[in-house]
Formats: sequence, C-alpha cells, structure tokens
Amino acid sequence: MIPQSSPREEREFFVLAEGIKYVYEGGVEAIGGVDIRIRKGEYIAIVGGNGSGKTTLAKNLNGLLRPTSGRVEIAGRSAAGMTVAELAKFVGYAFQNPDHQLFSSTVEEEVRFGPKSLGYTDSEVTKKVEHALEVMDLQGVRDSPPLTLSLSYRRRVSIASVIAMDPQVIILDEPTTGLDAKDIDLLMQYIDVLNREGHTLILITHDMRLVAGHAKRVLVMAAGRILLDSDPKGSFSDLDLIRQSNLEPPPVTLLAHRLSRFGILSNIFSPEELVSAIAQKIRGDR
Amino acid sequence: MQALHLRDARFKYKGSTGWALDGVSLDVEKGEFVTILGPNGSGKSTICLMSNGLVPHALPGDLEGTAEVFGLEVRSHPVAELATKVGIVFQEPESQLFSMSVEEEVAFGPENLAIPREEIRERVEWALEIVGMKGYNDRAPFSLSGGQKQRVAIAAALSMRPEMLVLDEPAYALDPLGRAELYTVLRDLKTRHGMTILLAERDAEEASVFSDRIALMSEGKIIEVGTPKAMLRNPERLRSIGLEPPQLAAVASLLNAELGRGDLSFLSVDEAESTISKLLAARARRGSV
Amino acid sequence: MSVFVDLYTEGKTFLHRTDPRVKIIAVLLLSLLALVVRDLYHLLILLAFIFLLLLLGKATLAKTYFALKMVLRVMVMIMILWPFFNPGGAPVLLSYGMIRITQPGIMGGIGNAIRILCLATVWYILMFTTTQRDIVRGLVKLGLRFDLGLTLSIALRFLPTFGATMESIKDAQRARGLEFDKGSLIKRSKNYVAVLVPTIVSALRTADTLSLALQSRAYGARADRTYLRELKMKGSDFVALALVLGAFVIPTVARFILKVPV
Repeated sequence: MIPQSSPREEREFFVLAEGIKYVYEGGVEAIGGVDIRIRKGEYIAIVGGNGSGKTTLAKNLNGLLRPTSGRVEIAGRSAAGMTVAELAKFVGYAFQNPDHQLFSSTVEEEVRFGPKSLGYTDSEVTKKVEHALEVMDLQGVRDSPPLTLSLSYRRRVSIASVIAMDPQVIILDEPTTGLDAKDIDLLMQYIDVLNREGHTLILITHDMRLVAGHAKRVLVMAAGRILLDSDPKGSFSDLDLIRQSNLEPPPVTLLAHRLSRFGILSNIFSPEELVSAIAQKIRGDR
Repeated sequence: MQALHLRDARFKYKGSTGWALDGVSLDVEKGEFVTILGPNGSGKSTICLMSNGLVPHALPGDLEGTAEVFGLEVRSHPVAELATKVGIVFQEPESQLFSMSVEEEVAFGPENLAIPREEIRERVEWALEIVGMKGYNDRAPFSLSGGQKQRVAIAAALSMRPEMLVLDEPAYALDPLGRAELYTVLRDLKTRHGMTILLAERDAEEASVFSDRIALMSEGKIIEVGTPKAMLRNPERLRSIGLEPPQLAAVASLLNAELGRGDLSFLSVDEAESTISKLLAARARRGSV
Repeated sequence: MSVFVDLYTEGKTFLHRTDPRVKIIAVLLLSLLALVVRDLYHLLILLAFIFLLLLLGKATLAKTYFALKMVLRVMVMIMILWPFFNPGGAPVLLSYGMIRITQPGIMGGIGNAIRILCLATVWYILMFTTTQRDIVRGLVKLGLRFDLGLTLSIALRFLPTFGATMESIKDAQRARGLEFDKGSLIKRSKNYVAVLVPTIVSALRTADTLSLALQSRAYGARADRTYLRELKMKGSDFVALALVLGAFVIPTVARFILKVPV
C-alpha cells in the first residue's frame, strides 16, 4: 500500500494520480488501482500490450475520461473540477492516428486551431504557432494541406498542434507506429528536444526498442495495473515481467540474458553495448 | 512456371508524376517465402497489388514490362480470375473485413465463385483451422482483436484456395502478441501446406527468420535479392535505404569488426547464443590455462 | 451507436426460430393492419396481440422500455395535440374561442397513439428476435438484389466502427480545446466540421480498401452465386405465415370489400 502523499509532497508533483480505478460501461475494469506521481520535466514511457490500460490511464490524465474512483491532480488542482478544455492548457494529448485530428486547409491553420480554441490573444497565438512549427521543423510545409503530406509529416503536424497550446505535459500515443526507422529516429530527436526545453513527456508505446534510448523512466502496465516503475535499464532486467505485459523484449536483451552465465549483464538493449560487453569478455579485460 | 515473374516492370499510377515501380525484375518460385523489405513509398505495396491484378485493373496507370502470375499476364486477366490463384491480405485489419460474421467473411470468396455449398463449408472449416480461429464462426469482426482480425483476413483469402498468399505489411497495426500469432500462421502455411508466400514489410526482424529470400527495395527499384544471411551481412545497406537492420544482424556485424573477423552471422537468438557461447567458453578455457 | 441499430437479444423462443422472411412479411402486414383498423377497441385487440408476441419472444421490460422510450414521448404528444387539430364531430367537450375539443377528436388522438405503438413495437419485435444478418438474408431471399443487400449489410457492419471512430475524433478535438456542448448553435455547428472532416476522410479511406478487398475475393465474378447459409421454411413457419396472412386479410376484406366498420 503506497502511503498517501503529504500536502507538501503533492506540490512537487505536476501530475498526481491516486487510487485510480476506471471501469467501462458494461463493467469491464480497464484500470484497477493505479498511483502515479510525475514531476515537472520528467520523460516517462508507459509500456504495455493492447488491453494493458495504458491508453485508458493516459486519457484519465487529461480529462477525456474521468476515473470511476480515485483522484487526479494536475498542477496542484483537482482535475475533477476542470473541463477537458481547461486541462488542455496543462496536459496535451497527441493521438496515435494523426488523421483523427487533421482537418484544416493548411498546416499553419491546423496548428493555430488549438491555441485559438483556448482563447489566447492573436499575438500570443502567433508566437505559439511559430514556436511549434519551428520545433517540429514544419516551416517548409506551413502552407500545404496536412492531409496531402506523408505520415511522418502528418504526425509532426499533429504533435505541433498540441505543442502550440503550450501545455507543460505532452502525452504522445504511439507516435512511431507506421514510420520507417529513419523517420522514427528523426521524430524521436524532435521529441527529445521537447523534453530538453522543459516539457514533461509521457510516451505511450508497446515498442520496447523505443523506450531504450529516450525515456528516463518506464512504467510497465498489464491488465490495468502498474507492474514496474523504474529506469529503462531496470525494466529490461525482468524478462518474465515484460512477457507478462504482452511485450516483446528486444532480441539484444534476450541474447544478453541468455549469455548472463558468462557474466554479461542482462539489462542491455543496444547492439553496441552488447558487442562491447562480449568483446571485453573475449579479450579478457577484467 | 513461377508464382510471380516480373521482368523490367514499370508502373506509374494515374495522375502521379513518379514511377512507383521503376524497372523491377523479380521471380518468386512456387513454395518459396519471399519478403520484400523496403521503407514507405519504395514500391513494395505496388508489387503486392499487382500480383492479383488490382494494379492495373482497379488502380489504373501505365504498366510496362512483363508481369506474370502463374504464367498469366496480369494486364490481360481480370482480378476475378487472378483472385483464384492469388489471395491478398492488406495492412488495415478493420477495413478489409466487411461481413457481419467470421463465417460469412471466409465464405464470401467461394460464394462468389458459385462453389457448391458443401464444399464451401469444408473450405471455411479448413481455413479457420489453419489460422487458429476454429469455432469463431458466429463472431462479429469488430469484437475481435487486431491479430484475430488479420488471421480471419488470411482465412478469407485461403478459402479461395489460392496458390500464393500475398501480404502487404500485415503486422502494421498489431501489438507484439498479434505479430507473433500472425507469423506463426505464416510459418505453418509454408512448412505444412507448401504455400507460396510473398510478404511486404518494413521491419526486418521477423522477416529475417522466416524468409527463404529477401528482396531489398527502395524508390521503385529492387536493390538486391538474396538469402537472409547474405542480405543482412551488411547492415549498412539497410540503413542506407532507411531501414533498421535486425538487432542480431547488427550484433554480428559489429562483433566481426571488433574481433577482426568476417564470418560471424546469426539470425535467431538461439543461433546467436550458441555461436557466442562457444567464443566465450573458448576464451574462458584459454584464460584458465 | 450500435445499441441503437443492433437490438438483437439471444434467445431460443418460437419467434427467434421463425424464418426471417415470415417475420419480415408479418411486420409489414401487421403495420398495414394497424393503419387499416379504425375501431378503437379493435386497435386495442391488435395491440394486445402484439404484446403477446413480445411475451412470446421473452422481451425484458427494461430493454423494451429503453428501445421504445422515444415512441412513448411521441404518443403523449399525439394524444395531446390531435384533438386541437381535429375539432370536427360531436359531442363537444370544451369550447374556448378558436379551440374546440370534441370526443371524436380525443378518441382519434388515442387511436393514432395506439397505432404508433403498434407499429414501433412490431418493428422492435423483428429487431430483437432476428439478427441483422438474417434480416438482410431474408430481404435478399424475398427478392432484394444481392448487391443492395450487401450494401445494407456492409453499412450495418460499419456503423459501430464509424461510431467509434467519430468518438475518437471527438476526443482528439476535445483535447485541443474544442467544446461541443457550449456556445451558440452556429459555433457548435462550426465545431462539428472539425469532427466531420476527419470522420469522412476515414470513411473514404476505409471504402477504398474495402473496394479492393471485395474485388480480391472475386466479387462479381459470375452472375450466379451460392450461399453458405440457406433459409428453409419449416412447418411452423408456414403455419405462422398462414396465421399472419389470415389476420391481415380478414379485417382488410371486411373493411374495404364488405364495407363492415372495422
């Protein structure tokens, strides 16, 4: 039982969720008792297979879903008393399918839409739009219709339209699905920049390879509960746990585990690290 | 007679400026499992759509060169005819299942061919059994998981008793569990039923384990064709066309460089474990002398 | 959304087992009957008969009420408004300026309300005892062209899917500050553009893939076609059909040919 946080502690956390339960109409329990505490500036990945509850949990953090029981606090205020539009100023959500958000005739209009809806003044809106276009490197296509662009660009437009609302927390739901490796690297670079700029990032994914090089904290979810909350290396060390959540450990991690009897550490997830460890052992360096 | 025979095939979609296929030559032999590996826009989908005639009949454009499926010129045979030889599965599970029940979906193809009812029943049961969806006859498509939907799509293609199954990024929308289920079905189809399989993929991991041959594709051209081991020996080549090499291939390549060798290669975790264990054990033995 | 369209409840009652063609014909004939019968007491008998069918199908009170909620509201409206618009006949019960409420007016209102209930209930019975599949199949066997039947079944199959997509799109736009329940009618309509455009785009994309999938399964390859599931009329189906035909023909002949007030 995690002890209830004290009022002083609570102010430290930008996102606070305690005892969250979410039950869908029809009785299916998607989340059964989850606690999360997130500080400003953290870079978190929530991983799990389909049905693990990760998307349901994320939607409980920006008001799209309201917990059946438990409470959510954003920036010290109770989320229950805020509408989704009000929460959008603090927690932005980029959906997995960008085509579910895009409807404007130009990229610039699309990005403008969010801050305008939130009621910012014209000059504020322009500033936010310019910043968002710059961060996602979209100035070259600002006048193009979003629906004519490639998937990689459409994803960036959808994320830019969330950034333009200038929320502290940005939730990205499976941002790399369908992208080529090259585009994945590119997108993750832009996303990393957001964290360096000070945004709190929550990445939802079932691709463990993605988690390895970017997030600093990983929450592994399965069947509506958090099984593990640790740094990436820690999450890779328990294979059974990963499989329990319908996730696939990267081949390199699997291999590292199999070679552990030779003294190879098992929380490795990149080929370079593994080869380096193997070569060391073969050459007999310590 | 080959399952698929392309010689200098070029195709440009109507209204498009670039050539989706820019001089492609590829042969797929009966019983082979060939994977076309390439990034988005490389043309691999176009080859899939051409194998049952959707290109150029349903998706018009300029087709040049030779494109034959089981000896039939794709240009001159309608989709309905080629569909009896080639079954196709698309990447979006939701939009290729249009019936109100699994059974209706799988029976649809043979019904269109006016196959007698008893035989349709046999084919439906046979197809559902192969994909591991036996007993799901009355289930509605939207109640299934992504992986289950894709398996029903495969069954719906199999019930037409094709000689080749073509899959265009079938694991696109699936989670790891769904992917694993899918590839198990494909492996069974090949090993137990001798089905010719043509797969278009962006992710090299599973392809490297299951394929007989891999064709690398980029910008409408086939860059190279060969066995998985041969193809993945040089991870740089995959990176150069925008693909991520399978992790194990990267490990093999880096290890070779590290140890000054050129012979290490493995495609599966088992193989890798066995090869590397031997190296480490040998070192341990030498070390203790 | 799917609740609205798919009212089917599992069951093994006589009605569930009846051939869908008989049920479709019965629904059409009983609907017509409700319009033919004019006498209030005979209408009540018809209503009682229809309720009996409800019981035969083992309908639950809760589900039936939920499905017919709207109808009950319409009924109340009719009963209240009809007398105001039909001031003819005698005896006059209330007279105030332009307003004249007569007994025939009130009876007419009640009669029409009962008619609406008969119609709605009889269609509800069809929907909850017959799967959508069987309804479409029944229509095709009765003569609906196969491609129209396919269009209908594809539409029914995708309704819940598009509903879910639309909900997801609404969520995505809500997360961008769009509010659907506040503001003037004009503003709210403009907001819906943000939902309609992505929904329609999604539907068109689905239609594209669907068309390719249909062709890949040799749709339209031949003029003839076999059907896996056959509809066969059983003895009990013929009996039910005969009863329904009788129930329709007798009052209709009585009213229109024999000129008996029915």
